[in-house]
Amino acid sequence: MFQKSGDSYEFQNNDTHDDVETVVGPSVHVEGDFASEGNIVVKGTVSGSVKTSRQLTVVEGAKILANVKAGHAIVAGHIKGNVKVAERLELTESAQILGDITCSVLAVAPGALIYGKVTMKGIDGHEPKKRRSAKAKKEDVAVSEMQEEAVPVQA
Amino acid sequence: MYVYLYDDFLRQKKHDTTLKAIETRLTDFGIAGKIIRLQQFTNAAAVIEEELRRGAKTIVIVGNDATFGHVLSSAATIQTLFGFLPIGEENSIADVLGIPRGVEACEVLSRRRKVKLDAGWVNNRYFISQLHIPPHNIHVQYDERFTVSSKNGLIELVVCNLQPFVWKDKKRGEFVVHPQDGKLEAFLRPIEKRGILRAKYEEPSIFPFEEMTVWSDTPFKMEADGRTSKEVKVTIRLAKSRVEMIVGKERQF
Repeated sequence: MFQKSGDSYEFQNNDTHDDVETVVGPSVHVEGDFASEGNIVVKGTVSGSVKTSRQLTVVEGAKILANVKAGHAIVAGHIKGNVKVAERLELTESAQILGDITCSVLAVAPGALIYGKVTMKGIDGHEPKKRRSAKAKKEDVAVSEMQEEAVPVQA
Repeated sequence: MYVYLYDDFLRQKKHDTTLKAIETRLTDFGIAGKIIRLQQFTNAAAVIEEELRRGAKTIVIVGNDATFGHVLSSAATIQTLFGFLPIGEENSIADVLGIPRGVEACEVLSRRRKVKLDAGWVNNRYFISQLHIPPHNIHVQYDERFTVSSKNGLIELVVCNLQPFVWKDKKRGEFVVHPQDGKLEAFLRPIEKRGILRAKYEEPSIFPFEEMTVWSDTPFKMEADGRTSKEVKVTIRLAKSRVEMIVGKERQF
């Protein structure tokens, strides 16, 4: 994970607005289910939940008090909540995450703070167990009971 | 049959040469038609409906951004094909539509490349170019999902449909709003500092949306396509593919 020296981690500041579709300004506070189909740049505060299928950028000084779901993410600010990233999650020196992390690729710069469980896919035989709902369990019991009932009687 | 709606400012002498050249070129292309001069209080929708009844097929707006907004904000409900001949200054919409200024616009008009454009819908009327709410203590809710507020209180709101939002920052230039991306774009700028002559704005927050509600405890000023009103609560919606328009090859969407 730490193959390169700390200096080599560069925060790719996406300040160009060609690609950016949603920007939360420095003094702006967003509350609620904040979802976007495009890239999101957070410079202010967001509470509730954050969802995007594309890139999420949390700049230094920004705060997210919510569960986060994103395609890719670059974090330099604070996140209090679980972070689920489909592909690459990049944490810079100033990043602070208080919550569980799920991602495919994780890049952590020296100085970044994480307090929570980190789960990454890819290790054979150690895939995280999926929680099964009570309904599914009941269905399984019902099926096994039916199978028991349907045992053919031997002559 | 083509009908040309000329803005009142085209009476100024400085536009005579351009207008003559345009009229000659239109005759060359065989698309010259009736000319109607709009006055300040002309009801554009009524004029267009009357001309359509008389057999007009294409309505061409001749003027600048203000003319474009003035005509289409009232005529967006009419199902007909619109064209645009930009003349003079303040023609940022023409750039978005890929229509060159002056005589060259006639070629775009003659090619009849048709595209359906989105419009904005605010409190039972359409707006085509831009909606502006000067700095006020407003609350904003997007798509009934999340609310936006500022620590500093006063926020300026600009909703762009066709007219680009110009944010005067030398490093980042201006934002170009794509009129057919299926969303309106809201630019929120909280006031950072109030100076004696002018207020200092923070960098804008950008939110694409389909529906937005803006409200305040005190009435706020709202300007949409040059029409100003005082409101307490407004709902802004996207009206998809509302206006059929002739556009150029170099359009920005």
